[in-house]
Amino acid sequence: MPKLAPLTKLILTAAVSVWALLIPTLTGQMALAAGQLLLLAFYRPTGKHWQAVSGLALFAALLAAIQYVFGSGLEFSLMSGLKMFVMSLVFVFMLATTRLQDLTAALVSQCRIPYEYAFMFTSALRFVPDFLEESQAVREAQACRGYVFRGNPLKRLMDYVAIVEPLVLRAVSRSETMAMSLELRGFGRKGRRQFTADVALSSPDYVAMIFMLVLTIGLAIV
Amino acid sequence: MMAVNFEHFSYAYPNSGVVLDDITLDIPVGSFTVITGPSGAGKTSLALAITGVVPHYFGGRQGGAVQIGGITSAQSSMGELAEQVGTVLADYESQLVALTVAEEVAFGLETSGFNRSQIAERVSQALMLVGLAGLEEREVAGLSGGQKQRLAIAAVLVTAPDILVLDEPASALDPEGAAGIYELLHTLNCQGKTVVVVEHQLARVLPYASQVVVLQAGSLQFAGDLRQTLAFMWQQPELRLGVPPMWAIKLTLEEQTGLSLGDWKTEEQAATELNKLTRTCAEGVAKSA
Repeated sequence: MPKLAPLTKLILTAAVSVWALLIPTLTGQMALAAGQLLLLAFYRPTGKHWQAVSGLALFAALLAAIQYVFGSGLEFSLMSGLKMFVMSLVFVFMLATTRLQDLTAALVSQCRIPYEYAFMFTSALRFVPDFLEESQAVREAQACRGYVFRGNPLKRLMDYVAIVEPLVLRAVSRSETMAMSLELRGFGRKGRRQFTADVALSSPDYVAMIFMLVLTIGLAIV
Repeated sequence: MMAVNFEHFSYAYPNSGVVLDDITLDIPVGSFTVITGPSGAGKTSLALAITGVVPHYFGGRQGGAVQIGGITSAQSSMGELAEQVGTVLADYESQLVALTVAEEVAFGLETSGFNRSQIAERVSQALMLVGLAGLEEREVAGLSGGQKQRLAIAAVLVTAPDILVLDEPASALDPEGAAGIYELLHTLNCQGKTVVVVEHQLARVLPYASQVVVLQAGSLQFAGDLRQTLAFMWQQPELRLGVPPMWAIKLTLEEQTGLSLGDWKTEEQAATELNKLTRTCAEGVAKSA
């Protein structure tokens, strides 16, 4: 399977959403979903990604069932569920087949998104494992001091303050250190930023873009 | 030639009292300088003054001047100073912002606009230097404490600063990890980098320190070589506890016997000298018998 650039995949996510809105038939929506699943399968995703797809399918089925139960027609309910599935599936495809760093590089260098926003996105992801580790440590520390996380949901919610408070304070202190270290590494420096990630477009990207353009125009005319 | 020069430097954080009071200190080029002292002595603030974080980042009031390689820190930005000074903060984990090892090291170079081949070359050299070669694609979150510390050092080394400032680099590491970090810093020092570390466990830096600076309540109490400084600390009741146990034995022996022992930088040196001393004593006892 040819390697597509992150920009092409970003355009594909937008294109798929447009196609989902333009395709009026159930068969067409199903074909679009099947096409995406086939594309995803070509990139050999992990079991985690297939789990995400299953979760989306389940959610789409629930959405269709709720619509049907509350009085919508069967075709309309199925269309709604399928549209939701098709539009979300493309995001699973993009995230499963693109490194976040490459996505950031594409957003900044090709979509002209300010680097600060893209950096916020990747650095937030970088700290998720640390945050979970700290949450566990705080939970254990509070448990050692006699906190018991049991009881009704309201009590558990109130008890959770004992974890959230130190976690928030730690997060604030961490962000302060991070800001300082970024300054020390010339983060705010003016001038062009270089990315090590190679996100340049190649011929398969141009072919894919032409195909997307033609299909969109075709669907709009039909 | 001086890498850093404090001239009657005083500093107070916003809405706080004076934390550094009239500091005059020279840090020679190529030295391994250790800043020590009790908690709240101003060690971190002094280290941050070398990096320009004090006063540029925190604001506050400053008196006197700090010169970094001839540049007055108050007249330069933190970014400009960062070209000369690489800093590893006490909370080094918060300093690591990228997802993978290679990206973390490349971060500073990307900001400076180096081209891709230069970045790749420098990243690989920096990782080799700190012993993390081969871990380029490893996720930062999956590294051990010692590896993260090494990565933080690689991330500052990659921009080739002349001065390295590290705030308690081994505080969260096990004894082996701490020894490894200090051996690495010693290697970098031997390659010509000026190293400044904040450390309250002086036992860790005995083999490497060329200058030890003692701060107390924001004032410079003493600055000199290892022997002079530890002898000074031994004389001060409030600083005596900071003297490493091995030197406490040496200084007590010197006090009790009037002998002048060598500089015990390693346990082997101490053992050798103590063995010699015991042998001499035994021979003396045998002769007198």
